[in-house]
Amino acid sequence: MPEATTQAATTAPGDARPRLPGGAPLARSPIRQPPPTAVVGHWEVSRRHTNAALRLADLSALAKVVLRAAPESEAAGALGVPFGAARRVNVVATRPAPQLVVGSGPDEWTVLGPVDTQAEIDAALLALPGEHPRSVVDLTHGRALVRLTGAAAPAVLATICAIDLRERSTPNGKALRSLVAGVATDLVRDDVEGTCSYLLHVERSSGQYLYDTLMEAGATAGIDAAGLPEKEI
Amino acid sequence: MIQIPCPYCGLRNANEFASTGEVKPRPDVATATPAVWRAYLYDHRNPEGLVTEGWYHRAGCRKFLVVERHTQTNEIRSARPAGVAS
Repeated sequence: MPEATTQAATTAPGDARPRLPGGAPLARSPIRQPPPTAVVGHWEVSRRHTNAALRLADLSALAKVVLRAAPESEAAGALGVPFGAARRVNVVATRPAPQLVVGSGPDEWTVLGPVDTQAEIDAALLALPGEHPRSVVDLTHGRALVRLTGAAAPAVLATICAIDLRERSTPNGKALRSLVAGVATDLVRDDVEGTCSYLLHVERSSGQYLYDTLMEAGATAGIDAAGLPEKEI
Repeated sequence: MIQIPCPYCGLRNANEFASTGEVKPRPDVATATPAVWRAYLYDHRNPEGLVTEGWYHRAGCRKFLVVERHTQTNEIRSARPAGVAS
């Protein structure tokens, strides 16, 4: 993960957009960041810590790259993740930790990696073997991604999602797309150190709405906002 | 409530889908008159009974499906990917 810096973003004359020292634009999540914030790579992220049993973290800064290819293609075979599953695969060979590959459609895979690694993932997906046509699109800045973690997460999610979230139907490693609070959402069960956890991935413009709705749905279960964890994925 | 057995995703609520209407043979582009096109686009049989419809799983697998549905009971007799013979 890129090292966190505490340097403040600046603006250029006649340009209100915040920039990092050196002039690169500062990327911001569509979700308001609970303080304190820090700059990680090119992103402004929350570093809020909470010990709440149920917590919601904004992971929008993570790299998100989508591969579309025929399911029978060599590229799909090389990933080895079927539709409806999510597994950690070393897509970028030079990275020490594997990326999370989500079989999000019958011919679609979403690869989630650490902050600012989208170019490496992009190149790795294009370099997968095979001659079948494929498309690789970097959606890092076009999507919002949150993680809901806690034993009460299935019960909270069940209030806004019609999917059967019981263990036998949606075990760890299951991926699906459905409506969550009326929004088409990629839902991935990705437990953290034995605790039930879901990744929810939506269009950028729906990010704040989904975040607020989850906070409201989890209010009675004591949900609290968390910042981007050190080990994000 | 209608539930549609998506061949890719399993049984899902119909509000995840968009109906594209009854499946009809598309007129020949080279010979169809405006009246034929209008009838193809806007005239619907709306029968009481089993119809073969197109549905798009917009909030799921994003695939087009062909669904046999009873218009009175909303019973779903079958669902298959579009372009696959029954």
